[in-house]
Amino acid sequence: MEDYAERIVGRAIDLGCQDAVADVSVNRSYQIRFAQNQIVISNRWRETTASAFLVYKKRVVASDIKDFTRLDAQVDNLVKIAKASQENPDYGGIAKGPFKYDRLSVDKKIVDLSDGYDHVDAAVNGALEEGAKECAGSFWKYDEEHYLRTSNGVNAYDHRANLYLSIRALVSLESSGHAVACATKLSQFDPEKAGHKAGKIAALAKSPKSGEAGKFDIIFDPLIFGSLIDQVGGHAGAWTVMAGLSPFAKKVGKRIASEAVTLIDDGSADSIGRKRFDAEGVPTKRNVVVQKGILKTYLHNTSTAKKFKAKTTGNAGLVSPDTHAMVCKPGDWTRDEIFEECKDGLWLTNTWYTRYQSYVTGDFSTIPRDGIFRIKKGEVVGTWKDIRLTDNLINVWKSVEGLSKNVDQVQWWGEVYVPTFAPYALARKIGITRSAE
Amino acid sequence: MADLDLVDFAVDYAREKGASYAEARYEHQIEEQFILKNSVLDALYHGEDSGIGVRVLAKGGLGFAATNAMTRTDVKALVEDAVKIAKAAHRKDPISFAPEEPVVTNWSVPQRKKLSDVPVEDKIEEILHVDREVMALKFKLVARYFQQANKQIDKYFVNSEGSKIRSFSPRVRMFYFLTLQHNGSAEQTSQNYGWSGGWEAMDELRMRERVIEEAKSMQNSLEHGKKSPEGKMDLVAGPQVTGIASHESCGHPTEADRVLGREASQAGKSFITPASVGQRVGSPVVNVCDDPTMEHGIAYYAYDDEGVKARRRYLYKEGIINEFLQNRETAAILGTRSNGAARATTYNVEAIVRMANTFVEPKDWGVDEMVEGVKFGVYMKSFMEWNIDDKRYNGKYVGREAYLIENGKVTTPVRKTVIELTTPTFWGAVDAVGKDLEIFHAGFCGKSDPGQALDAALGGPTMRLRNVYLR
Repeated sequence: MEDYAERIVGRAIDLGCQDAVADVSVNRSYQIRFAQNQIVISNRWRETTASAFLVYKKRVVASDIKDFTRLDAQVDNLVKIAKASQENPDYGGIAKGPFKYDRLSVDKKIVDLSDGYDHVDAAVNGALEEGAKECAGSFWKYDEEHYLRTSNGVNAYDHRANLYLSIRALVSLESSGHAVACATKLSQFDPEKAGHKAGKIAALAKSPKSGEAGKFDIIFDPLIFGSLIDQVGGHAGAWTVMAGLSPFAKKVGKRIASEAVTLIDDGSADSIGRKRFDAEGVPTKRNVVVQKGILKTYLHNTSTAKKFKAKTTGNAGLVSPDTHAMVCKPGDWTRDEIFEECKDGLWLTNTWYTRYQSYVTGDFSTIPRDGIFRIKKGEVVGTWKDIRLTDNLINVWKSVEGLSKNVDQVQWWGEVYVPTFAPYALARKIGITRSAE
Repeated sequence: MADLDLVDFAVDYAREKGASYAEARYEHQIEEQFILKNSVLDALYHGEDSGIGVRVLAKGGLGFAATNAMTRTDVKALVEDAVKIAKAAHRKDPISFAPEEPVVTNWSVPQRKKLSDVPVEDKIEEILHVDREVMALKFKLVARYFQQANKQIDKYFVNSEGSKIRSFSPRVRMFYFLTLQHNGSAEQTSQNYGWSGGWEAMDELRMRERVIEEAKSMQNSLEHGKKSPEGKMDLVAGPQVTGIASHESCGHPTEADRVLGREASQAGKSFITPASVGQRVGSPVVNVCDDPTMEHGIAYYAYDDEGVKARRRYLYKEGIINEFLQNRETAAILGTRSNGAARATTYNVEAIVRMANTFVEPKDWGVDEMVEGVKFGVYMKSFMEWNIDDKRYNGKYVGREAYLIENGKVTTPVRKTVIELTTPTFWGAVDAVGKDLEIFHAGFCGKSDPGQALDAALGGPTMRLRNVYLR
């Protein structure tokens, strides 16, 4: 695989490119999907992909190559396309290597894991024991190797392997709970715990009634709080800011959250998003994005860093910066204290379909799903359905009052796009709307 | 193109290894994207995605495996993987497929101007031209993002029942995202148009005109827009609003796999159950269709990814829940036949139940006629924020371009009109359906795990809704 990466970079430079990057990835992942408490399909992949990034006189071309029998011809074509393209005056080059990387290693027991049926059974049985009638979800064994070469001296290798399980447990259509399990070590993987959590929420969410509109104090469970953290990470990319797709433009150094909030992007920490390097080969590192409520930096690749007179944060994607793994610094509250402080509010456990009316202002709505609980004096006094959280992203973050000491690693289907360590959180006076009669 | 004999070999070998049913789908997709941000061509993407996916039924379980290594050795290993994992499922209810006759055919979408004949320079110039024209308006367009994308999809599908189908499907997309400021206030828009066919799409979709018209409407909204009124009133919903409602609150809840719980953990379930067929969900003037054979709709296809012939599906007919979108697996469970709704984004994912081109069937009302019949209300032409719950019952669409209607006339622009209604309330309020069908609004419909963001057209004519709560 190193040879493929070397060949792409070498040929592109020989053909006149100034910069070239090739990341050859070998994917041996495996997945089991289940629904109605049974396996519905198992999937296995054996794929090799070369992601290429070539630059000829500031003309940028990106590609994914799958047919390695025509590798040279495809590189030739990409260079031809680059030469016919237009100059990007914002292009600022790629990082200068070589770099030193941490000696991360994968759990060989995960790499050697041949199936995951026991893990699916453990999760489903856990949920059924709590009273769920129907479970659906996915088990994933991710196993990917990356061979990266750049024309600026990077020669790097990374092996990423981890386990993930997502389970939704239902007592009925409107009484459901969701939980996930994430691990980089087989010994730490606990799908049964996820099953129990999803099942407990589902059982507690029995017979919901239609909710009401208004302003409510909200307890966010880690899964939904992970979604809100993801909204910050995703909109902190410098490219996103430049495209008008972020409420954080011109807000570096300004308050975008309460003092309780510190958010970090860290691809180097132990998480299922851990990786040694970004798409330019820059070692991943801990980047404090929000410190005590103040936006400290955008996430950069070499080009956007130059544009913003900053340094790359090691977040290069193929074209634009990406988050790797988000971490919310834990607070000093216990979970019980968070509930006790909610005198008259809601406990939300999951959400989906987060959409913006204006990315510039951050006006958005998202739809809580699974257990939605009415809380009075810290206790669950009822279950709701059919509500929508309608507010402003910065306002929600400024309204965060307390965070729990313990965080869970979560990731979920589009909503929590990158792995995220999220605590329980309490936020005050958040907008809730509902369908009109 | 790879050696297509390997596709036939994969199916034969799967049967030899114990599969009761097998299918193999080879795909070669050429994709190009031109990304223009604030007048700068940020990057050009040109990729060739190719490989084979094999799906088998064995011992009542379903297995799928995919590779891009097109050698006999690799394909053999792939098939062995698929059969092994299918057998390991140990289901108490064996999966089966509804019967289909074998099909041997070729189909393709014609291109008046072949995508492969249009030089890269011309494609780039097209978006630069749009950007130049919109900038010539001299509005304060502080951020502009255009993405022009083209796909050429070759497929070869074979199954163990004798089907062999080759197809070629070219598709063109134009996406734009604009941010316009005026007196410290900002308006944003995000629009996506699509076409099955060749480069003639640029003329047919009238992208230059559309972007200019949109920028003018944004400026008008910022200069003259009022707060939208709150309360019960009439709503005239333009084709774009009709289209998103068709997709979200009709197409999705009638997907049979969702109804049966297969998507419960991801895209969710449905307020509709198998027993709901025949129940009223809208007014008698509402026919919502999904039709893959709609010429030039971005989701056009003649046969689906299980080899089933495509046809128009009436999902809501005269306001009644009429038919689900089915693949062969869901059809077998529900005791019916597939209606050709199985699709996959790429070779390396299974085909699942999907919408194609979803729209309200037009009737005979003119837009002016509908407006004339409104004493007080809102004419919402387009939206920005939207979402719906995972059972597809509570939808929200927030206006981007909207106007007040007073005494039968469209008057001043109104900003951020919110439609937040249940599915039966929305469809039950429709009293008039226009003749101005548009089917070129294109979405990426998300579903499944791994996620499959698939081409879908959302359209319809203008509709009038009576006495609905807006704010």
